Amino acid sequence: MKNVRLNLLLFAAVFAFWACDNEGPQIPLGEFEKGVLIINEGAFGANDGEIYHYTGGDDVSADIFERVNNRPFAGLIQDLVEHEGRTYLVANTGKVEVVDTRDFTSLGAVSDGLDITRSLAVYQDKLFISDWGPYDANFNSPDSYIAVVDNLSGGTISKKIAVSSRPEKMSLVGSRLLVANAQNLDIVNLDTDTLANTVEIEGNPADFFRNEGNLYLYARDAENIYFHRINTSNFSIQNTVTIALAGATSNMSLGRNGEIYVLTSTGFPDYDDAVAKVSISQNQVIDASIYRGSGLYGIGFNPNDNRIYVADNNGFQGNGTVIVLDESGDEVKTIPAGRGPSGFVFK
Amino acid sequence: MYIFALASLVQSSWAFDIGPDQGRRDTLSAIGDTLDLKAVEVFTVPVEKYAYGQSLIQVSERDLERFQGQAFTEYLQKQTGLFLRQHGPGMLASLTMRGTSAGHNAVFWNGLPINSPSLGQTDFSILPVGGFDRAEILLGSGGALFGTDAIGGSVHLHTRLKFNQGFQAQVQSNVGSFGLWNQSVQAGFSAEKWSSRTQVYRNFSRNDFPFRNLSKFGTPVERHEHGTVRQYGFVQDLAWRPTDRSQLSTSIWYNDSDREIIPLIGSNTRDQQQDRNLRWVMDYFYFGRKNTLNLKGGLVSDELVFNVGSVNKTRQYFLSGDVEWDILPNIQAKSGIRQTFIQGNLSTYEAEESRTELYHSSNFSFRNNLLVSLNLRQLIYDGNFAPFTPSLGAEWEFFQDQKQSMGLKTMLARSFKVPTLNDRFWVPGGNPELLPEESYSAELGLVHEWKKGNLSVNQSLTYFQMWVDNWIIWLPRGNFWSPENIRSVNNSGLEYNLNAQVRLSSVKLDFSGNYAFNKAINQTDIDGNDRSFGKQLPYTPVHKAQGQVGASKDIWSAFINHQWVGERFVATDNIASVAAYSLWDTGIRMEFPERFIVKGQAGFQVNNLLNTEYQILRLRTMPGRNYQLNITIRL
Repeated sequence: MKNVRLNLLLFAAVFAFWACDNEGPQIPLGEFEKGVLIINEGAFGANDGEIYHYTGGDDVSADIFERVNNRPFAGLIQDLVEHEGRTYLVANTGKVEVVDTRDFTSLGAVSDGLDITRSLAVYQDKLFISDWGPYDANFNSPDSYIAVVDNLSGGTISKKIAVSSRPEKMSLVGSRLLVANAQNLDIVNLDTDTLANTVEIEGNPADFFRNEGNLYLYARDAENIYFHRINTSNFSIQNTVTIALAGATSNMSLGRNGEIYVLTSTGFPDYDDAVAKVSISQNQVIDASIYRGSGLYGIGFNPNDNRIYVADNNGFQGNGTVIVLDESGDEVKTIPAGRGPSGFVFK
Repeated sequence: MYIFALASLVQSSWAFDIGPDQGRRDTLSAIGDTLDLKAVEVFTVPVEKYAYGQSLIQVSERDLERFQGQAFTEYLQKQTGLFLRQHGPGMLASLTMRGTSAGHNAVFWNGLPINSPSLGQTDFSILPVGGFDRAEILLGSGGALFGTDAIGGSVHLHTRLKFNQGFQAQVQSNVGSFGLWNQSVQAGFSAEKWSSRTQVYRNFSRNDFPFRNLSKFGTPVERHEHGTVRQYGFVQDLAWRPTDRSQLSTSIWYNDSDREIIPLIGSNTRDQQQDRNLRWVMDYFYFGRKNTLNLKGGLVSDELVFNVGSVNKTRQYFLSGDVEWDILPNIQAKSGIRQTFIQGNLSTYEAEESRTELYHSSNFSFRNNLLVSLNLRQLIYDGNFAPFTPSLGAEWEFFQDQKQSMGLKTMLARSFKVPTLNDRFWVPGGNPELLPEESYSAELGLVHEWKKGNLSVNQSLTYFQMWVDNWIIWLPRGNFWSPENIRSVNNSGLEYNLNAQVRLSSVKLDFSGNYAFNKAINQTDIDGNDRSFGKQLPYTPVHKAQGQVGASKDIWSAFINHQWVGERFVATDNIASVAAYSLWDTGIRMEFPERFIVKGQAGFQVNNLLNTEYQILRLRTMPGRNYQLNITIRL
């Protein structure tokens, strides 16, 4: 088995070299195709979400969307999705900006017909955009949907697929779109653009990730975190790993060797935030607090330098800070970020 | 014969020539020859009476004339050195005075504090010009004189009623760009012993002004589709003088405002806000030979409905009594007590609070050129003692001759703000343990008046320093936000004010100018990564300048007004900022000629003459060039 995998790897490597050779001179990477993109969500009521670009040392490039496009992003950035040369900046203020992954020049947008937009997936030259839909009088979201746009560079919405309340992150398995909602998991059939079924989930679903070839849905409640392994042929929950960890937030990132870093918050009255390290393979918490702070708002594990990047929102009073930790939680350095840093893309 | 004091805009009054027993003269009445000698204004206590050493901005009825039906915001923004954080035309506007926050100024209507007890501040956009006749603004700490909130200053709105006027009626219309249509009708009758006036108004603006949508690909110019403002209200004033020694007066003001909230650029919100504000006040005065008794009762009822579902109601009941007496010919004093009862029925909590305040004020005059005010106040809220607040102010006219006079004024004061109901009780996050915010301040000013022939100049320069501590800020804590007494701020600044008039044969020229320099420097970092220490507070311009030139001849008058507001930082770390802007307005006005069928006047004005694209707050749109026509007819 091991040999097979090694051979595959070698084959892939050779193929890659061969491919490069055949394509003539290598195209240099664009400015934003290396380093770290810091997603700064922005402050509520200020629409000052932006992307920062960090390339090591003290080199931080601020507000790259505005710098390249000469206009403010003017939204709160909920998610950033890359797909084949296009980067989608998903604003929960109801738009998706499409930029060139290499240099962030604006390619288009979806700016009409969205409400509270959360995330995006690409399937067969179409965009699928999860959106909470408008609030009702009691601030519930009964009319949530997945908006479909038939052009990879944005434009008008061709249809909306009704889904369960408050869809967030999504994952594609074949022609099925898995949608993590506030309370459950929707399976959308993209051949027919209809909601196929809804799977009840223990805990509040937050995000999908893949570990050792398996697709997991991370969920949590006040006392526990849950890793639901999804059966990708019938879309049921194959098994669930439950780990006791109090105050886990929706922010987590997969490190090495099945280690997962989760942001926790004690809430009232101490408001202590922490980075917890748990092991999905050992089914336990390795250390509930490898780092403590306040205002911890996002986390990402950088596989290039094996560092943990933790975003501190500095109470939203001004711009935030990124704290770089080693795998045992010791602070390596800090990087100035924008308003409400919340996530990272490592290149 | 009407004298058109068009640009007698913002006048600091420095009345060194009168003793404390007379109070300070309203500069307006000096205009003189239009006033009926038999007219007696309904007695009110001048707000500045015990405020020697403080800077005063007086806003007269004439100053407000061309702002009829508009938010008081517009007047303050265009005609003073004050800055309001304005979210759009007709939208939320909060005042910052001397670099303090929106809740750090107290607002009064006919002596009744009208700051919302839940929000701790006033939205100046729902104080339409027309709901009051004139205003005074006292800059600097007024906690000892006015109670909670007056850390940066205080704003006083008044209705003005007269006896002996017979029947009077007035109709005002103001129409303008973007569907603006303000209409008010006023009628009153007064005799020797009583006076009554009723006013109803309706203000409307479609507010569909074009703006460049910076959030969209290609930044297209679009029109706002969600910004309509509808407002109506009425004011009733009554006064009765049963004897020569007593007076009973009452006023009631109801204002109903229904607004579509203009979204931030890049947002698609369609928020709707309704505000219903009812204010009622009743004053009884007894004028003894050496003392004056004042009993005051009042009610302030506010209802704010946001997006239908979120209903926030507060009600405040006031009862106060004070006695003012002449201790010696050169010493006058006032002592009193005020009881406040507050009920809050907010969307997430209910709360009640009672407050008791004891206050004392004294004025001393020495050799007629040195005037001193000493004020003391202790407020107790629900058994908690707010900081004891004394203030000491003085004005000294050290030079005077036939042509000019020069004086110094100074004040030392402590002020405070009781934490708002929301700060303490909001669910989730409200923090019942909060302490009152408090401040110390000191100021020194130089006043100069100069007259030569047809030219008169009045100017003042004030330097102030203020230290505010236990400043409350809301911080994100876990899943919600919670307020804490975290911040301390050092404020300092300069205020310069100039008024000049000159008469050249039949033409009268007026010039007025203001410059405000405000440093509001944060002294606290909330944690190790915060970069706020030593930085200017957000949306507090370091510089603001304003100037107006007016000219009048016979029935005609014209003005050109300019304001310049310096860069404002978006957040406490002073990284992002909003660009400085400069705006010009101009207008012309005509008093109807004497042989004309009705009395009255008509004016036309152009706002934002150069069609400047600007933002007061980041991504909040403001209208380009727009026009207004207003007509007043008097019977």
